Amino acid sequence: MRFTISRAKAARLMAVFAVVALVAASCSSDDGGDTATTGGDAATTTAAAGGDAATTTAAAGGGTEVIKLAVLSECSGAFGAFHQQDMAGVGAAMAEYAGATITDPNDATAGWTGASVNGVPIELVGIGCGDDTADTAIEETRRLMEQLGADIMIGPLSGDESIAVANYAKDHPTQTFINGSAGAMDTTLEVQAPNFFRYNSDGAQWNAGTGDVAFNDLGWKTAAVIMDDYSFAWTSGAGFIAEFCAAGGEVTSRVFPPLNTTDYSSFVSQLPGPDEVDGYFWVVGGSGTLPALKAFEDAVGPVTPDQHMGNLFWEFAAGSMDPSMEGAYIGGFGTAGDLKLDSVAAHTAIIASHYDNLEPFGDAAAQANSGFLVNYFAASQALIEGLEKVGADISDGQVALQGALGGLQLAGPYGTTTLDGNRQAVQDQYVRQFVLLDDGTLGLSTVAVIPAVDQTFGGTFEQGNMPSRDVPGCEPSDLSWLGNATPVVDGVPQG
Amino acid sequence: MTAADNNASRPRGRVVTFERALLVFAVALLLVLPAFTSDFFVSFVLTQGLLLGIAAASLIFLAAYGGMVSLAQTLLFGVSGFVIGNAVTTGGSKGLNLGLDPWLGVALGVGITTVLAFFLGAVASRSTGLYFLMITLTFGVIGFYFFGQVTTFSGFGGINQVRAPDFVGTPGQFPERLYFLALAVSVIVYVVLRYIARTPFGLSLQGIRDDHVRMSSMGYNVWVHRTLAFTLAGFVASLAGVLFIWWNRQIDPASIGMGEILALLIIAVIGGINRLEGAWVGAIVFVMVNNYVRDVPGLNQIGLTEARFNTIIGLIFLIIVLLSPDGFIGIGQRVVRLLTPRAWHTSQAPGSDSGSGPSVTAGSRSDSGSGSAETTGNK
Amino acid sequence: MQWIALVAGWSVAAIFAAWVLVFANGTPAEPLVSQPGDFVKVLLNALTIAGLYFIVASGFTLIFGLMRVVNLAHGSFFLLGGYIALEFQKLMVGKSRNILGDDVGVFDWVIPLLLAAMIAGILGLIMQQVFLRWFQGQDMRETMITIAISVILADMMVSWFGGIGVDIQWPGLIDRAITVSGVRYSVSRLFMLGVAIVVGVALWAWLQKTRTGMVIRAGVDDTSMVQALGINVQLVFALAFFVGSALAGMGGVMGGSFAGLAAGVDGQWLLNSIIVVIVGGLGSLKGALAGSLLLGVVTAFAPSYLPAGFTNYSIIFTFVLLGAVLAWRPYGLFGTPE
Repeated sequence: MRFTISRAKAARLMAVFAVVALVAASCSSDDGGDTATTGGDAATTTAAAGGDAATTTAAAGGGTEVIKLAVLSECSGAFGAFHQQDMAGVGAAMAEYAGATITDPNDATAGWTGASVNGVPIELVGIGCGDDTADTAIEETRRLMEQLGADIMIGPLSGDESIAVANYAKDHPTQTFINGSAGAMDTTLEVQAPNFFRYNSDGAQWNAGTGDVAFNDLGWKTAAVIMDDYSFAWTSGAGFIAEFCAAGGEVTSRVFPPLNTTDYSSFVSQLPGPDEVDGYFWVVGGSGTLPALKAFEDAVGPVTPDQHMGNLFWEFAAGSMDPSMEGAYIGGFGTAGDLKLDSVAAHTAIIASHYDNLEPFGDAAAQANSGFLVNYFAASQALIEGLEKVGADISDGQVALQGALGGLQLAGPYGTTTLDGNRQAVQDQYVRQFVLLDDGTLGLSTVAVIPAVDQTFGGTFEQGNMPSRDVPGCEPSDLSWLGNATPVVDGVPQG
Repeated sequence: MTAADNNASRPRGRVVTFERALLVFAVALLLVLPAFTSDFFVSFVLTQGLLLGIAAASLIFLAAYGGMVSLAQTLLFGVSGFVIGNAVTTGGSKGLNLGLDPWLGVALGVGITTVLAFFLGAVASRSTGLYFLMITLTFGVIGFYFFGQVTTFSGFGGINQVRAPDFVGTPGQFPERLYFLALAVSVIVYVVLRYIARTPFGLSLQGIRDDHVRMSSMGYNVWVHRTLAFTLAGFVASLAGVLFIWWNRQIDPASIGMGEILALLIIAVIGGINRLEGAWVGAIVFVMVNNYVRDVPGLNQIGLTEARFNTIIGLIFLIIVLLSPDGFIGIGQRVVRLLTPRAWHTSQAPGSDSGSGPSVTAGSRSDSGSGSAETTGNK
Repeated sequence: MQWIALVAGWSVAAIFAAWVLVFANGTPAEPLVSQPGDFVKVLLNALTIAGLYFIVASGFTLIFGLMRVVNLAHGSFFLLGGYIALEFQKLMVGKSRNILGDDVGVFDWVIPLLLAAMIAGILGLIMQQVFLRWFQGQDMRETMITIAISVILADMMVSWFGGIGVDIQWPGLIDRAITVSGVRYSVSRLFMLGVAIVVGVALWAWLQKTRTGMVIRAGVDDTSMVQALGINVQLVFALAFFVGSALAGMGGVMGGSFAGLAAGVDGQWLLNSIIVVIVGGLGSLKGALAGSLLLGVVTAFAPSYLPAGFTNYSIIFTFVLLGAVLAWRPYGLFGTPE
């Protein structure tokens, strides 16, 4: 058989042809779809030192013709269900502040048309699909920024993703990134990318007020904290620890079950018993929130509202919790939909006027004050206001826009947000409490407003000293907002 | 046989030359391609395709020549990346932040990964077939949890801002540099692996693949051969890991999680798990599907929005496995068979016909076209 | 080689025992001599979680033993079973939120369990009949098909049920703790162990005492011989796939009640099943039992008896278990080479 091209050889040839054909096909489509940017792209970036695949569509004269916007949301993973909320937040802001028309009020991912600032259209070039991992977030960010040529990205949603994206931003200074809803502290305080902006709080800020409540209202002198072993949970737990210790309390035990733990019994057994400690603060999320509580009940003792508090993970699990948890305090998520303020009503009306249904949760108006929707909304609103300030000119590496974004006073449904020097939001926080609704299910009610909480907790956190297993320590300190909480009664802040 | 006389007159040497010419043509095409395509395409499709191809080649090498379908290659790929990440970064909030020279990092990454591969191989190599597959899958997933939970080395947030040597730069600055490096490494890996397959070691490895009992009774140490092959594949995977960390500048446990483990297997299978070339074919196809499938019009109408693109990838994979167990290479073979004169078929060696056999098997075909027996997989 | 491994194995066991008994100061559980109550709890934790591992893994090993199919969609059937049961439970209780233990009677849990197991079994059967039976004997190809199906199912489940964690409510009867001589322990965990024992005994009786079981055991040893004897082996295969997948679904309901359901849980439980069968030996019920117990011991003891700052290293001990067993017996404790 020495004389033929064997099948195997033929196959090898075919393989080569296949590669060639596929490559050729995709190149042509790549060029065809994006002629305006890709052509100039290859030429400019190789020349520009430190340049990336920046596809600023600025004309040479300085005027911007179109602003290409990308949104990084979540399609799968633990937060996949909030994809519609994220997109609705962006869409509603575009419709309200940039004159856009929503394409489909029952499907926020269909986007919008006709958004413009100062006559310059804002075009949605792509939606990224994260799965709450840094790996996918980076892959999607590169697809959005480098392939689809976005100038500005809104996103991502969750902590580890945002750290990776902020690092990416650092390498791509001529593009602008506005955080979606992520709350890891590192993202802004540690990475400090000059072109990454966050108009929502981090996990520690969201928990402002919980330490105060625990020490002063519940009378805890000692507390145990159980938190998932990764950066967002450390951040979230750190907010409680820093404030509780600042108020004079002592955290006697910290337990860290690894993420994705199946059997929490070994970890809750590490906690001190109900007679050895005054209270417990829970930062266990994912599928673990309820199993961890259940394991505690089985092994240690009953979970009672006056001895247990949780962070925002409890909000997600509220639908499955025991109604006897009525009265338990939980940390905030930057929102307070039950506040009887005109701005809140106006915000709810905005969402309701642009969207009818957001699957899988249904009625859009009922989701208007979901943290994810609100945070994506705020990011988009900030972008539009920033663009208005600079006449929608994003030429010259978006320097002007980035400057404008840093100085915004963003008026949102729950008050005004400003950014600190690391482009991190300083804003009011809300402590909430479980209440029993008329239908016998648990709902949330805001009990206190904590004014102007900053990310560093009065210097407790700083670059190089990020929340981790042993940071923060437990020191009494002076927090500007301690004792300045405004109580809320029936949705009306008192004072 | 007479019908094939035309072909018979063609000397084998010329066929080989022709085939080599095509491979050279493919490489030449890859060499000039960056001149005609966007930076994104060079960096994201071609570079990523080549480096995933190298990782997949380590999987295919073990499968095609050693009869071992290893799902630990993603782990080894990642270990190399994590070691470099820990070694070269400075001032990050995660990892050891040793701040070493990037080249020293490479030496550490490749070295540690290869040693680890030796030990993992030593444990796994005593079993075969599906058992081997499951053991290596377990290694891979435990590796994912290890890097997720042991925050000394990474944690789920991973390691960011990993520097490449100045000579390589960042893919944002110099997309072509990393691309040509990946191309060079790919060619070297391909040539070396093909060469090794023809050495006495490679031949006895293939003998073990086909019948390890007989090889054992002939005095070959089956376990040592398998372990060494696994170590070699680990070395190759570590090279892919080096390129990955330079290309991505970031690595986290999800980079080596279950999804990525399966992705590498999917790459090998859609390319063609029996042939080394399949690695790069599969990788480039996979990357392109990943990138461009969401732009395909009409998917929305059947309810597959871009949010569900994992479903689309799963469906494509399912269809390929159902229809063509030899992946794209198998499809190519069928096309060739359809297009060639009937007389050709009768002149084929039975062993070189892979279109009909049970082909996605642990021990598959010999590469040398020697007409070796196919294992049926279910012994 | 063998005796070295044996000596090493026993030494490890002896060191482990000594550590737990006397030296484990500064660990969350403290040594047995000073805290015997904790030891009992940890041991019970090991046994009860092993029960759950066993239920899930026994289906996996049954399918493999008979058909040489590594069903990597096993975790998907687990998760799907859990979600289906949750939907039925909401329907039966008439509430979609804040379902209490008191709301859930025994039947509000058992009937969803049976329905979920049934549906998971039928889906498994469909997968086998539609996709796998045409490729019998091509084990690697069958494995690839199950991978593709698991990828599709995982993505579809996110879109159907959302990714966020939910859980199934145990019946109120067992959703509580009892205290026996100072040791407080969960009834639902003990129940889980009980169910595992019932399942184990039923499977054993089925395989050992019935004609079908005999055919299956014969099929495990030599499929072609069974076929040659004129037995409809296809029917047996279908039955095995149904039972195996139903066990995954049943495990999903128990796992969903015990540890919750969320995106990604499918992969975790697939991994658990794989480790169990690798350690115990593929295709043997005895192996699944031994593997579950060993994995249960590792998952319960490692976080309790490691020094407090190092509990997150416990994953390494799963690897140590695997490495130690494989070095000694490459095909698992009760496995035989293919």
